[in-house]
Amino acid sequence: MPTITIDGEQYQVDDDQNLLSACLAQGINLPYFCWHPAMGSVGACRQCAVVEYRDAEDQRGRLVMGCMTPVRDGGIYSVNAENAREFRGGIIEDLMTNHPHDCPVCEEGGECHLQDMTEMTGHTNRRYRGSKRTHRNQYLGPFINHEMNRCIACYRCTRFYRDYAGGDDLQPLGRNNQVYFGRQRDGMLENGFSGNLVEVCPTGVFTDKTFSEHFVRKWDLQSAPSICEHCAVGCNTAPGAREAGNGQDALLRRVVNLYNRDINGYFLCDRGRFGYDYVNSDARIKKVLAARGDEMIGSTAGAGDRVHGEVHPREGVQKFAEILAAVQRGQRRLIGIGSTRSSLENNFALRQLVGGGNFYSGLSARDLELLHLVDRVQRDDRIHSPSTPDIENADAILILGEDLDNTAPRISLAVRQAARNRQKQQAKKLKIPLWQDASVRQLRGEHSPVFFAGTEISGLADVANATLFDAPGQIALFADAIAQLIQGSDAAAMDLAADRRELAMRTADTLLAAKNPLIISGCSSRYGDLIRGAGKVATAIANRTATNCALYLACPEVNSLGLAQFFSPGRGHLEQLTQELHGKERDPLTLVVLENDLYRRADPQTVERILSCADEVILLDSLLNSTVKRADLIFPAAATAESQGSYINSNGQTQRFYAVYEGGGYIQESWRWLADAASFCEQITADLSVIAAWQHSMDLSEAVAAEFPTFEALEKVGPDEDYRIDGLKVARQGHRYSGRTAVRAKAEVAEFPPHLDPDAPMAFSMEGIQSPGATPLSANIWSPGWNSNQSIFKFQQGIGGARKGAKGPFKIRRQSQSIPDWTISAAEPEQDEEQLITLPIYRMFGSDELSASAAAIASVIEVPFALINRADAERLGVQPSQLWRLHTDGNSYSLRMHVSDTQPPGTLGVPCGLPGLEAVSSQLPGRAQLKPLPATETGETP
Amino acid sequence: MSSIFEPEVVEVMEHSKSGPNRIETRLSSKEKEEIDREFSHYEDKASVGLEALRIVQKHRGWVSDESLQAVSAYLNIPIAQLESVATYFQLIFRQPVGKEVIFLCKSASCWIMGCNRLQKKIEEKLQIKPGETTEDGIFTLLETPCLGDCDRAPVMMIGEEMHRNLTDSSIDEIIENKTLYHAEGSGHADQSAD
Repeated sequence: MPTITIDGEQYQVDDDQNLLSACLAQGINLPYFCWHPAMGSVGACRQCAVVEYRDAEDQRGRLVMGCMTPVRDGGIYSVNAENAREFRGGIIEDLMTNHPHDCPVCEEGGECHLQDMTEMTGHTNRRYRGSKRTHRNQYLGPFINHEMNRCIACYRCTRFYRDYAGGDDLQPLGRNNQVYFGRQRDGMLENGFSGNLVEVCPTGVFTDKTFSEHFVRKWDLQSAPSICEHCAVGCNTAPGAREAGNGQDALLRRVVNLYNRDINGYFLCDRGRFGYDYVNSDARIKKVLAARGDEMIGSTAGAGDRVHGEVHPREGVQKFAEILAAVQRGQRRLIGIGSTRSSLENNFALRQLVGGGNFYSGLSARDLELLHLVDRVQRDDRIHSPSTPDIENADAILILGEDLDNTAPRISLAVRQAARNRQKQQAKKLKIPLWQDASVRQLRGEHSPVFFAGTEISGLADVANATLFDAPGQIALFADAIAQLIQGSDAAAMDLAADRRELAMRTADTLLAAKNPLIISGCSSRYGDLIRGAGKVATAIANRTATNCALYLACPEVNSLGLAQFFSPGRGHLEQLTQELHGKERDPLTLVVLENDLYRRADPQTVERILSCADEVILLDSLLNSTVKRADLIFPAAATAESQGSYINSNGQTQRFYAVYEGGGYIQESWRWLADAASFCEQITADLSVIAAWQHSMDLSEAVAAEFPTFEALEKVGPDEDYRIDGLKVARQGHRYSGRTAVRAKAEVAEFPPHLDPDAPMAFSMEGIQSPGATPLSANIWSPGWNSNQSIFKFQQGIGGARKGAKGPFKIRRQSQSIPDWTISAAEPEQDEEQLITLPIYRMFGSDELSASAAAIASVIEVPFALINRADAERLGVQPSQLWRLHTDGNSYSLRMHVSDTQPPGTLGVPCGLPGLEAVSSQLPGRAQLKPLPATETGETP
Repeated sequence: MSSIFEPEVVEVMEHSKSGPNRIETRLSSKEKEEIDREFSHYEDKASVGLEALRIVQKHRGWVSDESLQAVSAYLNIPIAQLESVATYFQLIFRQPVGKEVIFLCKSASCWIMGCNRLQKKIEEKLQIKPGETTEDGIFTLLETPCLGDCDRAPVMMIGEEMHRNLTDSSIDEIIENKTLYHAEGSGHADQSAD
């Protein structure tokens, strides 16, 4: 470890870093713009100048840029030297000549890195009196505002967007004093990580347009650590909420990244950043609703659909309690359906209420089997589930059937970084420090090997060295061949086409030669053998190299892997439920559905069969959906940002999220409704009294951990509600939270007490611990003088290290078990001239249920479409953009046809979960017939 | 101020006019041939971008949005990347220019020798400011940094020909000659891109 002297103080600093990051790591405030901890240095802004002295004798020294200067053992530097300060002040003054004086109306104001740095350099008086250069701004889509006049040309935006995230539609244009960062023409930024520009830009050029819709200053937001609920990666977020001020319910106003080294680091995808708005949507359920007995005259509701009216929560809970009482008396059966998008705590509460034998996953047999397969493979000791930094370190990657950009976007961004490892190796050989970003990126040569085999590859196509497009069955065979080759089988004996055999051999060799090989697969192809194949490849590598092999298996939803743990393989799926309900002498039946739209899980007929067996359907959910129409009693469930609970991500990591604010109306956590119903019961049994006694979210977490040793980490993953720091709770609001009486002054001028939080050691107020350094429970990333999210480095263990005070990662505990020697055989049925094989494809916007209700995301979701192979299109006479009709068993859908060169022949790519296609999603992969639309319907315009 | 050093990026950005009815421009076979010839000098296609823009400009006088699109498609490089190159280099014109582009040197030697006075003279004679084109479409006036002929300052370049030791009268003469030349109806550059 080199020792350096800065302004007379000696510091021990890490090797291989630059002076700027060394200074920041020591807590020395050195202003900067263009450097970014994840993107390194380019020396563009000249803001981090310091004086470097030759030796102790040298009194004059010379100015160097901190970010471009490697730390030298014994080096003597000064940050505070007069000439360095003057230089930095001059740079800011220059930058500010063109910067508008619009801080009061700029949405960056209050969390602006440029404001902070300007303050820090002491440039408080503008001498420049000339006119400023101005630009015209562009329309960049529904997510991002563009205000180019504020630009200081640090190049961070294009360095992130183009270099880090692989976008190709945002570039620096022009030059000199007229540099412009924009697109060639107006239009939505196409890259799925564009939202990070909001945080990457040190000033207000790129701001969050969804936040603009309900803007407040950063200091007026109340915040808590949360988990993104829009996929299974489990990125940490810091959502911000505040009262509406007009007597309306509080709004969730935005989501920003919350640094977690092992998962999301500094970046989120656009689905995660902009999907939050579903909680504010008109489709939100905020009241207790009950079906009315009378049919509404002239109603457009379909057969079996109920018409609902609001009831008082007490009445709703009373009804629920009466049902529970009947169940206790043995007069009624109670069946519960859990959810992969609800917390462990909610699922567990329902399970306890209905009993383990009556608790179902709400997934089809196929989907649940996939989750059990993931679980099975991850139990193998030879396999390890890689964190994001592990993925970024991989030097050879095989992706099997997972279109990561649309199914686990943050992982795709990590793979993109991994593709640069060969370049980084070369840089090391040439003794170029890795933080010398421009120099390293200039090195020519191939990417680190990334092999892709699957149906569709979106964002990673440019870093993939080889691609193989085929149906999942063929991809599984291909994976199996690679596994066999790695084990030393003879390639010649394999039943594979020559080019495929050659690719399999190349892949096998590359993976074996790699130091950190990585296999990625997952559930999105909905094909078990693919996961088996991935497991076989990984274990084959592990056997050969005698170290464990990294295998990332992407799950579909935020708590998929958590819910699967409640069921033993082969149990708990909807098919089993259907069987259970039919052919038995039955008591009246009540079905309790927890945060699950069954119409997304199975075909409409199956769902119909299930629902028609129930005498009552009780639904707890946050958004109106198709299942709501069939429910008799509906309770408003809290969304992630409004509740506390735990999710298990694809890696098997347990994470807790905390309530950011209290939901409006009668919204509360689903488990609270269940506990309320239990406590309203007149005759309370021992089982019910346990449920009725739950007071705190942590009571449930502890109960889950006690009942399921798998989840033992739940007790360690965060402190319980009684935890205090210096006798204080952690404040959700910042020091500067304003107007807490004024916000309601129209109705009441008295100070009102803050909401109490029974679940977390946190307060819905300004009172309590404010420092993000004192505890990771504080999500308001702020440090004196550092108002923007850049301040995160103050709370890391070294630059880019884990958050101070962060514990874990806490993996779920699973019995280790080697995977069996699965046989993977070509199980695909013969091709049928009449029918096409439908394969699931995914979209970042639209495939996820909740985020599709966020206004900005809803505005960019594609109309229902399908991808068809060019040859098939010609054979069937399909023209691009034409509407065709897809016929599955008993259902049909109008789809706009997109002709694709990579869609496997004989197949049709159908987007999973897209609004309008929810019902077909559960039947993918499957078979369907494509027919031209009757002439009467084709007049439709897109 | 809109000197040639500071291309009016603002204007460059403003071409959302071209909606769905945009006229597709293709590269002529001559242009393609010339671009193809450049490939051998570079490691990859993307590096040919600048040369390709130069070639297109040689044939068409300037680089329109449609031309940019055509080059982007032909070289298979993102259009934004090509725009980045096009707007960086002052000799790539993203707006129509006159048949004769006057580059008036504004560097130190020419300044000492009175280029400002000459500029005023040109501006008055042609009734244009730097960055503008005369109404008859013949002249465009642009400022440029040092042309490397300081011993014969003040200098300017028209198209590819240098004019040295400029005086009021030589400027009159040059401009009149050029005007006459174009009045006779023989254009100077190949403006016939298909």
